[in-house]
Amino acid sequence: MKPIVEAKNLNAYFENFHAVKNVSLAVPEKSLVALIGPSGCGKSTFLRCLNRMHEEIPKARVEGEVLLGGSSIYDRKLDPVAVRRSIGMVFQKPNPFPGMSIFENVVVGLKLTGSRDRMDQVAEEALKGAALWEEVKDKLKKPGTSLSGGQQQRLCIARALAMKPPVLLMDEPTSALDPISTAKVEELMISLKKSVTLIVVTHNMQQAARVSDRTAFFLMGELVEYDESSTLFTVPKDAKTEQYITGRFG
Amino acid sequence: MNPADFQISIARRLKNRFVILLLIALACVALIPLIHVLHYVYAQGLPHWNLNFFTELPKPVGESGGGLGNAVVGSFFLVLVAAIVGVPVGILVGIFLSEYSRSALAGWVRTSIELLSGVPSIVLGIFAYSAIVVPIGHFSMLAGSFALAVILLPVVAKTTEEVLKLIPSHIREAGLALGIPRWKVTLRIVLIAARSGITTGVALALARVAGETAPLLFTALSSQHWPRSLLEPAASLPVQIYSFALAPFEEWNHLAWAAASVLVSLTLVTNLIMKWATRSRGESR
Amino acid sequence: MKAMTEVNSVGSARKSFDPIFERGLKFVAILVMSLLILIIFFLYQLAAPAIHEYGWGFMFKSDWNPAKLIFGAYPFIHGTLITSLFALALSVPVSIGTALFLTEIASRQVAAVIGFLVELLAAIPSVVYGLWGLTVLAPRVRVTVQPWLSEHLSFIPGFSGMPYGVGVFSASIVLAIMITPTITSIAREVFRAVPHAQREAALAIGATHSEMIWLSVVRVSWSGVFGAVVLGLGRALGETMAVTMLIGNRNEVANSLFSPAQTMASLIANEYPEATNPLHIGALAYIGLILFGISFIVQGLARRIVNRVANPSGGGA
Repeated sequence: MKPIVEAKNLNAYFENFHAVKNVSLAVPEKSLVALIGPSGCGKSTFLRCLNRMHEEIPKARVEGEVLLGGSSIYDRKLDPVAVRRSIGMVFQKPNPFPGMSIFENVVVGLKLTGSRDRMDQVAEEALKGAALWEEVKDKLKKPGTSLSGGQQQRLCIARALAMKPPVLLMDEPTSALDPISTAKVEELMISLKKSVTLIVVTHNMQQAARVSDRTAFFLMGELVEYDESSTLFTVPKDAKTEQYITGRFG
Repeated sequence: MNPADFQISIARRLKNRFVILLLIALACVALIPLIHVLHYVYAQGLPHWNLNFFTELPKPVGESGGGLGNAVVGSFFLVLVAAIVGVPVGILVGIFLSEYSRSALAGWVRTSIELLSGVPSIVLGIFAYSAIVVPIGHFSMLAGSFALAVILLPVVAKTTEEVLKLIPSHIREAGLALGIPRWKVTLRIVLIAARSGITTGVALALARVAGETAPLLFTALSSQHWPRSLLEPAASLPVQIYSFALAPFEEWNHLAWAAASVLVSLTLVTNLIMKWATRSRGESR
Repeated sequence: MKAMTEVNSVGSARKSFDPIFERGLKFVAILVMSLLILIIFFLYQLAAPAIHEYGWGFMFKSDWNPAKLIFGAYPFIHGTLITSLFALALSVPVSIGTALFLTEIASRQVAAVIGFLVELLAAIPSVVYGLWGLTVLAPRVRVTVQPWLSEHLSFIPGFSGMPYGVGVFSASIVLAIMITPTITSIAREVFRAVPHAQREAALAIGATHSEMIWLSVVRVSWSGVFGAVVLGLGRALGETMAVTMLIGNRNEVANSLFSPAQTMASLIANEYPEATNPLHIGALAYIGLILFGISFIVQGLARRIVNRVANPSGGGA
């Protein structure tokens, strides 16, 4: 299958610290790729290079290439702001916008980037896509921050889905949630990958094994191994991968 | 071990008791003037609250009745014009200080804002006189509003900066990740999130500015008439309190007390509402 | 592919508004920064005749007679310092005590209520304090506190002379009331910045509550408290209306705390509206400039101390 996202020789730096070292990785369309590794291994930084969020940090820079659907997102002619509209992102902590209602939270991306048509319909679709519609359809005017943590995270997913991105990045989306909310979000990830390509950073190997099609193992900024999840978690090729997945470090 | 070993000496216990009582007493001393001033202002002012106070002009000496309607309207417009200038500029500077705090310029601006808020208001009065009254050639409401705006500006800027800094950075990131340009993230997401905090700060600053007298003495001056134009002198509540308090006519003294109670009510009500608003917000989190 | 076309179609929106927005903000910020310079410039412009006429010596001359166009600022600098320092002497114990009460003794709810009431003290307009001071405080002080003081404490310089009511004494009391919230709130922040572990450490070695307050809170907070006091001084120096109504307006050096005097701010408030001669206006503006300079230095000093102590990391509390 042709990859939708492809990183080629990607390097990322924080001032002098080399956080991501020469990583090449291709993500097939409509699949779920999990990025695992011990904290500080560069998996989150790598993720943030895929929608050009890394460069928002002062003194951070990126070298190499990332292709989205075959064209480079680091093209000099492109505005990083425009790139991000095609690649959604969900963060570690649920972060609905304070001072906005549930409805406003979902449509704010569209509203502020220019397309204001059929907001109601878009909001409903996005909330349904995030499996939140049934829970909130009667209180769309309530503040987004009034929801529970798990609902807030699904609201953030709906907010990203409203932009109809072909790719959705998730940075440890369940690490701040309780087990029940985590299970709901995992279920959601599995159903979402029918329509969207998902790239998920997780600190939880069981989660990676449960939901992902392919898994990439990062260590010290390098991509150690990248394979079908069923293969990587059962017969890893690299000794370091095996040590990590059997819990000997990290 | 003897249980007596666990007892602290009577001297230490008494000293402890004494210090704590002393601190409580000092806190009470701090509050006595507040209670006395409020009580006295209302006792003197409330009996003279009536419709005339808000709708009529002051009567000439010797005649009874009359009001300070022109001063109420004058104060309103003085503060309004000051707010139209001072609040947006203050908010913009606050945004700059919070969202672009890394630039070297921000440090300088922050220092000047702090120093500006420390400039005595009477000095700002001279400034407004020199910058506006002198070029125009006569006293005007505009000059008074200008002085008030300069007082307002650093307060609004400081509050805005502080409130914006409380908005976590991942809120900004979430906006950027949606593909919203930074300036829109700042104005339409971060500022909205900080809305209530900024509103509180602005309301308190406006209430404070409404009571400012010194910078109006030789800018807006005073007037016996209803305010008609920005370019004419205008009466205001605080200046009327000042001049009527010192006047040897009982009728005018009554108006001064009534005006004082109106002004105090304004700040009291604003402070209470804002306290209540911020508290209920704090609880919902 | 859909993703590709989307990315490329918006690619043309390269011209971002962001740099323009940032430049606009910078422009406004610089404009506000230049206000300080403008204030100095405009004051200097007005003051120029007096500055050329008297030079630095202006600050040390004691005669002030607008009718004869003789001007000297010394009585007002003296009056300002005396009233402000006496106000500080009255306010500091109360403010620090209140701040300690709020942080170390009161429960959270009590501290919230009392703290709010203390803040309200700062919300009452200066002119209302003046009105209250003039009608309530000064007449009562004249027949009670002042005679008593001059009878029993006249050996202390300043506590003697005729009780007038209005004068340095009454003005200072009202000033003290007005600066109490300033000092209290900053001191409160300073005490709050003391880590909780330090308090527990003192209690763990068997200190009583009051000993703990002294050992772990007060002793480590000197510089912050000093900053709070200096900030209070800065506020007192420029306070105008209440002082103008209570100081008695006599353009001479006060020889007693009970005698009428004049501060820089009250002089400007009294004479500026009626001044017509350029030299008179100049002398008043010159005094404004001196007042600006003094409060500039005092506030700058205080901010440096307070900012370093109350929030070393730069974050607000």
